[in-house]
Amino acid sequence: MQDVKIRNFSIIAHIDHGKSTLADRILELTGAVSKREMKDQLLDSMDLERERGITIKLNAVRLTYKGYTLNLIDTPGHVDFSYEVSRSLAACEGALLVVDAAQGIEAQTLANLYLAMDNDLTIIPVINKIDLPNADIPKVKQELIEVLGFRDEDIILCSAKTGDGVSDIIEAIINKIPAPVVNSDLPTRALIFDSFFDSYRGVVLLVKVVDGKIKLGDKIKMMATGSVYEVTELGVHTPRIEKLDELESGEVGFIAASIKDISRVAVGDTITLVSNPASMPIKGYKKMLPMVFSGIFPVEPNKYDELKEALNKLKLNDASLSIEPENSVALGFGFRIGFLGLLHMDVIMSRIEREFNINIIATSPSVIYHVTLTNGEIIDVDSPNKMPDKSKISDIAEPYIYTSIITPSEYVGQIMELCQNKRGIYKSMEYIDRTRVNLHYEIPLSEIVYDFYDKLKSISKGYASFDYELCGYKSSNLVKMDILLNGEVVDALSVIVHADFAYTKGRSIVNKLKELIPRQMFQIPIQASIGSKVIARENISAMRKNVLAKCYGGDVSRKRKLLEKQKEGKKRMKVVGSVEVPGEAFLAVLSGDEK
Amino acid sequence: MAKSVYIHIPFCKNICSYCDFCKFLYNEKWVGAYLTALKREIKDRYMDDDISTIYIGGGTPSALSCDEIKRLMEIIKAFKTDNLKEFTFECNLSDINKELLVLLKYYKVNRLSIGIESFNKKNLEFMERSADYKEAKDKIKLCHEYGFNNINIDLMYAIPGETLKDLKKDLDLFMSLNPTHISTYSLIIEEHTKLDNIKAQVIAEELDYEMFELIRKRLKDAHHYEISNFAIKGYESIHNLAYWNNEEYYGFGLGAAGYIDDIRYENTKNLKEYLLGNYVKNKEILGKKEKMDYEIMLGLRKLEGINIKKFKEKYDEDIESVYNLEPLFKNKDLIKKKGFIYINPSKLYVMNEILIKII
Repeated sequence: MQDVKIRNFSIIAHIDHGKSTLADRILELTGAVSKREMKDQLLDSMDLERERGITIKLNAVRLTYKGYTLNLIDTPGHVDFSYEVSRSLAACEGALLVVDAAQGIEAQTLANLYLAMDNDLTIIPVINKIDLPNADIPKVKQELIEVLGFRDEDIILCSAKTGDGVSDIIEAIINKIPAPVVNSDLPTRALIFDSFFDSYRGVVLLVKVVDGKIKLGDKIKMMATGSVYEVTELGVHTPRIEKLDELESGEVGFIAASIKDISRVAVGDTITLVSNPASMPIKGYKKMLPMVFSGIFPVEPNKYDELKEALNKLKLNDASLSIEPENSVALGFGFRIGFLGLLHMDVIMSRIEREFNINIIATSPSVIYHVTLTNGEIIDVDSPNKMPDKSKISDIAEPYIYTSIITPSEYVGQIMELCQNKRGIYKSMEYIDRTRVNLHYEIPLSEIVYDFYDKLKSISKGYASFDYELCGYKSSNLVKMDILLNGEVVDALSVIVHADFAYTKGRSIVNKLKELIPRQMFQIPIQASIGSKVIARENISAMRKNVLAKCYGGDVSRKRKLLEKQKEGKKRMKVVGSVEVPGEAFLAVLSGDEK
Repeated sequence: MAKSVYIHIPFCKNICSYCDFCKFLYNEKWVGAYLTALKREIKDRYMDDDISTIYIGGGTPSALSCDEIKRLMEIIKAFKTDNLKEFTFECNLSDINKELLVLLKYYKVNRLSIGIESFNKKNLEFMERSADYKEAKDKIKLCHEYGFNNINIDLMYAIPGETLKDLKKDLDLFMSLNPTHISTYSLIIEEHTKLDNIKAQVIAEELDYEMFELIRKRLKDAHHYEISNFAIKGYESIHNLAYWNNEEYYGFGLGAAGYIDDIRYENTKNLKEYLLGNYVKNKEILGKKEKMDYEIMLGLRKLEGINIKKFKEKYDEDIESVYNLEPLFKNKDLIKKKGFIYINPSKLYVMNEILIKII
């Protein structure tokens, strides 16, 4: 089999451990991109990705080296995208496990490593950033050997920055990762591991052909969704587009087939041929389900159509987004959007503001509650405002997650306290080595969507890392809490909270709003209530002074600029009833400290 | 045609902690060069308009020596002043003496603006200024003796640590000096001032508001004609009204601002550049909408507000068809009466808030 000169691999690494830099070096060394052409971190093509140092969209690049074809399949580095990661890993036979020489193993690395092992991948351990002054190579080596069972002689030391060790890595890819199994004669099966939308070509699928072959003009069928298309273009990225006539078993490449609607094709699905269909799809297909829901509203009501268009464009590229129209008394017309997780939400929101230039307000994220009504019916509720009246509810169950929190042991006490405060249920704790532990809790998903990650980072001075998976629903004593501004309920601020925490949450929200809502021309009472019972109250006193007492010749232009700036600030405010509320208030409400 | 001229003298004998105007410590060598450059700027840019008001401000114009002031006044003779109505010269109390007054009188200065700011010891320390009530009394008497009957004094309030009682005392002392005009300034901590550098904190919004109302109450016998200016009827500053009526004016000198031929400009604050003849630093060319916005922003500073008919004459537009004022009349932010539109006096203190709603 080793005469098949193809190697399909991906790189597993924690954010900032240098995956993109290493990918760049490999591209450079294999001559795919010359140094001069090299924009730093070529694979991360979106601005946002580059800015945050994370990879959101996958890419697959075909490289050639000493007669071998190397397909580098990039994976997103964040917990929200673990299904996409698992699918791109399924397209590979091997993976580089990149660990930072100063930081050691992190929770997400571990999570992705387990995904890789589930897919039977050959793992090549790499310690990166060995040029750092605070690199602790022996310690990280020890971790890799003791915790993950690698052998000392298999570990490659490298510095993607200086290029040190990169050629050893490429040799290891060729010598250690097995070639794909080639079954050219079987009925065609190809795994879709990513897709993106191109305005000229429609949806472009990134695939690995497992069995058989796909040719230009073939009629293809998606085995899960049943859609049929004709292949209009296929090829590979080198990283430039190189069109081919066919893709064969073992190969990785792209397919375009005039697909207009991304929801008709799903990552993880199997492509077969209409003429000679396979009987079984490739294992592992899952429909992706959003976990976190938030209302998104334009600050200016007349931007509704623009927002709609923006969301539809984003959806072209992102099948996991769910979009439904929503109407709020306070915020007007908008959409209820389902996201895979908080980072996903954050990325989508920034893209709407940045790429489409629409100021938006997001309401505090909610999860899906399973509500059992007194008549026995069970309904899904994804927004506090869809919660039925208390008298009609017999039970509310909420989703829980199972955590892996890897942290230096000195922070364990504080992290456990944090988890406890987030209604976490302690499960277990493992020592990775003498100084680091992996903490497992079950925590309601609703508790981590607000500020859990930020708090975890700040408690552990950035050292703790976090990964989670959904682990089922549990009944909880939950209530809907309303927030009133100037005596009126603001529906967009309603939240679902645990009854035992309602009082402190109510206080914290009311205080936070007092901080965020600027003084206005009249006094504004802020109240938190459950049903008709007010549990917290604060007042924003009336604005007292906003005038430039002095204004002579030289100040005139400056004053106009100042007014314009103030006016610009108002544009980010939403008028609710008679109160101007800054957009961030709707989201920041729950990030306050619960005192 | 511009009818007003502002001239900036950027020299002081002492730098106050809050000042963000363009200024330097007095230095004889620089003053000479500066006056030469000023003369050239006026020669280059003045277009023979008929001038009715001149305002010499600073800095501290009275920091100049008598010879320097003479030179300055000779330069000013370049202006056509047959119809001169008001000629203001800013002075510091300590600079006032017979010699200066004779000189100013000779050159037709008819209004003095004296920066006293406060008599409160703590306030003065904070501002890094000095003022003595007895001296003020004597100097103003001297001004009267030499025929200067139109005198403005500046009052600054909302100084950190100041109480309503302190302000009341200052107001009483100021009024006992019998000025014809009082300009009041609530302290603003501007960027690039000493106060900003030491991160001084402003007083509470609530107290600032109460002080503003206290001033209005104590000065109720005077004509409160502009948001921070009070005068005995007939002594309103004609020069400053030109600003608030959105009329054009020349600004000459370092850091001076002007408004000529639909352009609002600001001169450089860099002395070297200025001496080289590179006067203008920033220019804003105004279209009709911008001009109307300025008219609103400045006009509403006057308590009488904007004359609806004059607005129409000036811009050939009805003010209410350009700006949607109806909601503001409805919630009583603005009042329309006898052909004028003005800010509800009980809402003057949130003027910016109201302006933002309009423009």
